[in-house]
Amino acid sequence: MHDGVAAYVLGVLDEEEHEAFERHLEVCEQCQAELVELSGVPEKLDELKQAPSASEDDPPMSMSR
Amino acid sequence: MCPVLGHLDGRFESADAEAEHRIAVLYQEFGGPLLRHVRKSTGNDLQWAEDVVQETLVRAWRNSARLQWEPGLLWAWLLTVARRIVIDGRRRRSVRPHEVEPPEVDMMAVPDGSERALSAIVVADALRSLSDEHREVIEQTYLRDRTISEAAEILGIPPGTVKSRLYYGIRALRELLRDKGVAG
Repeated sequence: MHDGVAAYVLGVLDEEEHEAFERHLEVCEQCQAELVELSGVPEKLDELKQAPSASEDDPPMSMSR
Repeated sequence: MCPVLGHLDGRFESADAEAEHRIAVLYQEFGGPLLRHVRKSTGNDLQWAEDVVQETLVRAWRNSARLQWEPGLLWAWLLTVARRIVIDGRRRRSVRPHEVEPPEVDMMAVPDGSERALSAIVVADALRSLSDEHREVIEQTYLRDRTISEAAEILGIPPGTVKSRLYYGIRALRELLRDKGVAG
């Protein structure tokens, strides 16, 4: 269960697992501590999501019809 | 007891008044910082970001047990809740599959002279230094807005393996970023 904390922080757990992990978090001090530790990582990754990229120059979708 | 809300007990004539005040206090304490964080992930869409902050704080308010957490933990939890709401929103907005795939790591390190781009380079470098297995699960989940099970299907490995690799990968990434002085 503990290794779910990274997926939880990133918000990529499926709904059921997300809820199960939230219940686990209520009672697990280790995961609470790791949640705090890892909570800054997603915003760092966000910088990659928003970095300019060649793919933005892709041609627009087909205009037919 | 959360220092932000701990002093409220018994000061209000009605439950409604107290609830209203609690929301206001949450806004006062977390609204601004949360909005600044959320805006980064809504592509500066302010209206969307404000909606996300509001939903996050309402969820927090409904979760009185979590409001007892110490502020650092409460803040980390609020960020997580907000991120989840943003991701859900983005998924809803792109019901029609988007043609544009997120860039691969190699395409990301193009400097445009801004501080943000420099920081993105550091993060891209750190990601590249991870093992292939670790980098792959980070790319196939978070960077592409996919859940663990969706990524598992694409990678052809069990969801539990994706989850576990993500754990070690994110921990390793954090260490690398901390060494480079860009993660708290």
